[in-house]
Amino acid sequence: MNSLLAATEPVVRLTPQARIIAAILAIVFMLWILDLIRRDRLLERYSIVWFLLGLAMLAGAAFPVLLELIARAMGVRDATIALFSVLLLVLLGLALNFSVIASRQSKQITRLAQQSAIETIDRPGERESTRPE
Amino acid sequence: MKTLVFIPAWNEEDSIEAVIADVRDHLPGADLLVVDDGSVDRTAALARRAGAMVASLPFNQGVGAAHQTAYIFALANGYDVCGQLDGDGQHPAADLARLVSEVEEGRADLVVGSRFAEASGYRASRARRTGQRLFSLIVSASTRQTLTDTTSGMRALSHRAMALFARRYSQEFAEVESLQQAVRAGLVVKEMPVEMRARAEGHSFITPLVSAFYIFKTLIVLLVGQLRPRTAGPGGGR
Repeated sequence: MNSLLAATEPVVRLTPQARIIAAILAIVFMLWILDLIRRDRLLERYSIVWFLLGLAMLAGAAFPVLLELIARAMGVRDATIALFSVLLLVLLGLALNFSVIASRQSKQITRLAQQSAIETIDRPGERESTRPE
Repeated sequence: MKTLVFIPAWNEEDSIEAVIADVRDHLPGADLLVVDDGSVDRTAALARRAGAMVASLPFNQGVGAAHQTAYIFALANGYDVCGQLDGDGQHPAADLARLVSEVEEGRADLVVGSRFAEASGYRASRARRTGQRLFSLIVSASTRQTLTDTTSGMRALSHRAMALFARRYSQEFAEVESLQQAVRAGLVVKEMPVEMRARAEGHSFITPLVSAFYIFKTLIVLLVGQLRPRTAGPGGGR
């Protein structure tokens, strides 16, 4: 009877201590992001997603029931496993997103380099007056 | 018929002048462009002194970007045909002239000079030959056409081929993937046997492990290339 219940009810919850530490970390994280924006080290368009992540961390710390709901939906008994799974997926998605951005920018850099290379050409008409080194 | 011959060159100060002279001898009617891929030696200065046009990339971008620079330039300046050969002197311009006239006479869109087709006295190391054969097998399977020298940088291109590659051109796997691209776009791809001189400098410091990894990466690139949507060749498929 007990074991049947155990399969549906998360039994491992975050301790109050863990929640307090998570909340503090989330706040520090968001302050850090704000500071990066303020000092022009991070573009707003890339900061929003990180800021949302910080808010989610804070929400998870303040309302542990959210995490337990996710754990139940995933069919795991341990709320911390749910936490790690969700975080891992989010980070994977973000990492892939940045690879996409890096690919696009590398293409743009190549195009720029090619355009500038073409502009360095002395046109055939001017070729008689070639620069001697 | 306006023809451009270009030479991608990265730190080739020892050979660039001889290559330019060779091209002038065998392709006197063609304009000559050296794409200097971020050289830190006197490649650009020597090429300019030898009377070639020189496009200098601001930093080394890899052979794919260098080729594409020339295609973009050729299209913007109304060239109908272009030929290319490496700056290290391993490609004889006399052979390139044969490839170029093949395209000028409209018999193909992309002609590749092959060390392995029929009579060609080229000898490479065993690892290199094995890799070449593997590429050849895969590309031939994916294009349903026998191509023996997939990494050759001696080529001649029609306007249609240049237009295709100006739009999209692999940066790291340029030679191999472009063959697949061209065939899939409906261009006529041909191969002609050429002589290649052994490289003067010991440029190939590729160890077996590195080349095995390179082959593996290229396999994936080709596989993904098979899944790309077919682009109709510029001006419609054939």
